[in-house]
Amino acid sequence: MSSVRLENLAKRFGSTTVVSDVSLDIAQGELVALLGPSGSGKTTLLRLIAGFESVDHGRIMLDGDDVTSRPALARRCGMVFQHYALFPHMSVGANVGYGLDGEHLARPDREARVAEALTAVDLAGLESRAVTALSGGQQQRVALARALAPRPRVLLLDEPLSNLDPSLRGRTRRELRELVRRIGITTVLVTHEQEEAFDLADRIALLHLGKLEQLGTPESLYERPATPFVAGFVGRASQLAGTIMSRDERHALVRAIGVDWHARIVGEGTGAATLVLRPDALRFADRGPVAGTIAHRRFAGASAFFMVTLPDGNEVEVAASSDAAKIGDAVHLEPTGIGAHAWPVSPVPSATPRVPRPLPQAP
Amino acid sequence: MTRFQICLAFCAVTACVPDHREHLTLYSPHGREQLELMEHVFESENPDIDVRWLDMGSQDIVDRLRFEKPNPVADVWFGGPTTLFDGGVREGLVEPFRPGWWRSVDSSGIGPDEMYWPVYRTPAVIAYNSNLVKADDAPQDWDDVLQPKWRDQILIRDPVASGTMRAIWGMVMSRSVRETGDTTQGVAWLRKLDGQTRSYALNPAILAQKLARGEGTITLWDLPDLLIWREQGYPFAFTYPKSGTPVIEDAIAIVKGTKHRRAAERFVEWVGSVDAQVLTAEKNWRLPARTDLPVDRVPAWVAEVDRKMVTAPMDWAMVAKNGALWMRYWDQRVRGSGKTGVTP
Amino acid sequence: MTRRLAAPLLLLLLVWLVAEPMVLVGVDAVRSNGLWTLAAIRAFVVEPNEWRAALNSAGLALASVVLGGLIGVSLALLTRLTDFPGRRVVSALLALPAVLPPLVGVVAFLFLYGESGAIARVVMAITGAETPPWRFDGVGAVVLIHATTMYVYSYLLVRGALATFDPSLIEAATALGGGRWRVLRTIVLPLLRPAIANGALLTALSSLASFSAPYVFGGGFRVLPTQIVSTRLNGDRSIAMVETLALVTLSLITLVLASRIGGVGTRGAGKGIAPAPRRTGTRRSRFVVGLCAWAVTGWLLLPHVALLVVSVVRKGAWNTTALPTAWTIGNYLTLITDPVRWRPFATSLWMAALAAAVAAVVALAVAVAARDPRRAMSRWLEGGLGLPWAVPGTVYAIALATMFSVSQPESGRFVLIGTLWLLPLAYLIRSLPVIGRPVVAAIRGQDPALDEAAASLGAGTWRSFSTVTLPLLAPVLAGAVALAFVTGLGDFMTSIILYTYDTRPVSLEILGAIRQGDLGVAAAYGVVLTVISSGAFLLAERGRSPA
Repeated sequence: MSSVRLENLAKRFGSTTVVSDVSLDIAQGELVALLGPSGSGKTTLLRLIAGFESVDHGRIMLDGDDVTSRPALARRCGMVFQHYALFPHMSVGANVGYGLDGEHLARPDREARVAEALTAVDLAGLESRAVTALSGGQQQRVALARALAPRPRVLLLDEPLSNLDPSLRGRTRRELRELVRRIGITTVLVTHEQEEAFDLADRIALLHLGKLEQLGTPESLYERPATPFVAGFVGRASQLAGTIMSRDERHALVRAIGVDWHARIVGEGTGAATLVLRPDALRFADRGPVAGTIAHRRFAGASAFFMVTLPDGNEVEVAASSDAAKIGDAVHLEPTGIGAHAWPVSPVPSATPRVPRPLPQAP
Repeated sequence: MTRFQICLAFCAVTACVPDHREHLTLYSPHGREQLELMEHVFESENPDIDVRWLDMGSQDIVDRLRFEKPNPVADVWFGGPTTLFDGGVREGLVEPFRPGWWRSVDSSGIGPDEMYWPVYRTPAVIAYNSNLVKADDAPQDWDDVLQPKWRDQILIRDPVASGTMRAIWGMVMSRSVRETGDTTQGVAWLRKLDGQTRSYALNPAILAQKLARGEGTITLWDLPDLLIWREQGYPFAFTYPKSGTPVIEDAIAIVKGTKHRRAAERFVEWVGSVDAQVLTAEKNWRLPARTDLPVDRVPAWVAEVDRKMVTAPMDWAMVAKNGALWMRYWDQRVRGSGKTGVTP
Repeated sequence: MTRRLAAPLLLLLLVWLVAEPMVLVGVDAVRSNGLWTLAAIRAFVVEPNEWRAALNSAGLALASVVLGGLIGVSLALLTRLTDFPGRRVVSALLALPAVLPPLVGVVAFLFLYGESGAIARVVMAITGAETPPWRFDGVGAVVLIHATTMYVYSYLLVRGALATFDPSLIEAATALGGGRWRVLRTIVLPLLRPAIANGALLTALSSLASFSAPYVFGGGFRVLPTQIVSTRLNGDRSIAMVETLALVTLSLITLVLASRIGGVGTRGAGKGIAPAPRRTGTRRSRFVVGLCAWAVTGWLLLPHVALLVVSVVRKGAWNTTALPTAWTIGNYLTLITDPVRWRPFATSLWMAALAAAVAAVVALAVAVAARDPRRAMSRWLEGGLGLPWAVPGTVYAIALATMFSVSQPESGRFVLIGTLWLLPLAYLIRSLPVIGRPVVAAIRGQDPALDEAAASLGAGTWRSFSTVTLPLLAPVLAGAVALAFVTGLGDFMTSIILYTYDTRPVSLEILGAIRQGDLGVAAAYGVVLTVISSGAFLLAERGRSPA
């Protein structure tokens, strides 16, 4: 039985559709990241699960319970808000204990539970501290402890790290990952940063314009993107227009910028295609078939990403050792044979009837 | 025992003993001192009645009675010029009652169908600050106040809100109608008075303050208030206008729909009784309306007033009919125009 | 289901209590002796004096707003952004005119600035002049009184806004090379716009409804409230009603204008920590600033001082001299020892407290229901809550008296006139905007995530409201309830129409004392009222910071 199951969820605000036909199955103990650019509907989806927004269409199941029409307070979802939403007039202990009141615990039991939650986030003994007196990182952990204290069925995290300093973010992310694994709680995380999603999630649900573009492990999203959007959003990629020279079911030879690329192809059709090149699809070569000029270099330690402007105005990004070229150098490039993905350009994509996607199964 | 202790004891007693007396509620403009006195004396003579009074402006009483018509709260309407009571009669705010002393008052003050009864007479006089004006110099008649020497020396109680001033205005206008057939002369007289006026006062207390402080030296006001102020130490004196002064009949009536009719009747009876008339004359400077007071009981000051005062001939019916119109015209067209001579 | 019904039910309640009485009374303007007629409106329209009164009212409001705003805003800036000796005391004292008691307040001005008042006497004594140096009447006098009493609205609101003002904004602007005046003009004042607009709104509404000051000091200066009273006294009820409608229209225009100008409230992006007063300038310049602040404060508090003095002067001992000649505490003794005299205090206290408490409950319910400003229902609720502001107290009282003098249960009319309950009900309605507007603003400013957090932790509507929303609203609520309480405590314009023997409030006792010529007793009442009111404010202030 899946821990969280979303069936064909849809949500509109006025005339705009924010979530459209999203189905998702999350296994017990799994951590799924809802990833997408702003406006993709990921936060709304999280809020639908939490019960803060009502569902227009579809079903939400938690541990097999249909909670679609149940109010937030009866769903037992632990939520950590982007700005934490700690009650500013209460102490740390009162904040963390807030969700325990429904259980009518004896005082010592209650205190033990609060202490246990605080210990879990490494804040033991801070019960009587005012939340306003805490640092941002501590506030984040109090929010986490508060969400976990009532032992919810599922933990919902709304951009939990976005309010922290970058230096703190990495460490907190690791702690968060360890904590969630240790407790073994099913977790849904909203983020717009792929790195965060890669680092934390078992699987990533990539959302775009309210639709689920692809669901899968970080590796599968990177290596087998289902759409050009996924390829562009997950990992770095340059997008080019090309023509399919030949193809079988999985692979194609696509001609673009004067070179034939061995690409993985998704979808039916021939003719025009969208070609997406990962930075590792190209390498510098003295006699390479593609000529261009280095426009920009982004340093990333041992290696660097070079933006190469081609004579026809296209730009491609190439990964290489950081001393491989300088800005302004004229360079030549050749394919490496990997890292190319292609999609046939369907002539009228919107006219195709929308068939509900088969439910992706939990691994 | 100090007064304070007596009060405390009184509170304790009244708080503990449940009050089974019949409540009698008065609406009255006569002021705390007179009402407290009358409450005290009446209650001691009628131990089964608890008098409660609300002290308010005479115009306010009419408004309240009008609003409260569906659920009358007051039992007796005590005080105000008969012109106001006439309005109350028209609106059905009072009910008829004939007290035992019905023959003892001047019939001109009795309401139609015996709806109200006169209990006091309130004459208007010309008053002055006796520290600043010598008695010989003081104006002796209404027209004297228009003399150039009193320019900017006259203080006037806002006439719109005052029964006394309405009576004076009515006298001026009806004199004009009587002498010339129309109101032109009266309006001109009032415009000249406006030119002489230093300021209009919000209420009698402020009028007294202004007069005492010498912001002006002359005012036109009613006799009882002036006598009270003088008693309080204000440096005021007054003259009875030679050509006659309007005497307002101050009335009393039973409120229509009263739930304590018998107590109300007893109170009206008592207010017009010789004892009560003498009491208020002696203590509160109220000029009795009764004309048959035993000579030996008439206070000296009352006798003096009756000797010196000339009552102006007044067509009260005409004043009641046109008073509001005149006042509106005065308020809109005359007030503030006397100095410039320009009609606003 | 109950939540869905709550908003319409609340709207119904507001329509019943707030709108229906007004409609009933508005009908009076076009109805006479059971017939529909436009005669009263015609009489109003063709009379140039009526137009003059309306224009005067508008002009007076504008002048009061400009002058009062200037005083209030500069004092708020001075006491919040600069430091000088005694800054805290000054900023507390400056709030006092918010509780200047009714009627006697004007009397205090008379004793102070009147041509025979203390200041004129002092000037005469110094210059040796025979005649008073000025006549304190006309437009100037009224504007002066308005400005020196109503500045307190701008002052309190701007001071409140500055308390959560992000100091980094000033620092940023200064770092960008802005001079002190430029920063003030381009950063501080624009960000304070909502507070300034609200202050202006309150000032304008108070000025439009102000009766005593123009009546006593206006001379021939007509404004609508004085016009209404004299028309009513003259018995022309229909015309009085048309004049009232004109006044209500002016108030409504003001409300609309203010909400346009005020725009959306800017919430400080910072951490809501009050900026520390700047210790700029030399010791000498700080001293000069302090001296100015103290002088202005002293000047603004003179009426209170005058009131205090009048309350301890023996009757007749302050007529022709600069200072009184004989003192007494007799006025206070009378007040304490005579049960008839102190009973009105108990009456006013219970009525004002009950009205403020119930109004707080209603206002909170409306605020919760009207939390989402985008919904039409919210706007209706908000409008209903604010309506009593646009209507002068006397008019509302008349409206309520009309409404509740008939038994028509089907249209929500019952006979309440003459009972104990009508006056507290009137106080309640008058309190609604006083409490409702700040509470609505505060609840909208609250982070909705807090409620969601509570819900996700299993808290139901009630628990989430009582443990999260309410405690966070407490400071705003306490201040608003205190203000409503104090307003009820000193109310005169509503009370004079609706009081009964059992609900005779302090203000009527003051009126009685004035009518009797007992100015000392009236002033003593005023002083006690001021003390109680200040106490209520202090209590609210203390509730604001439990630590």
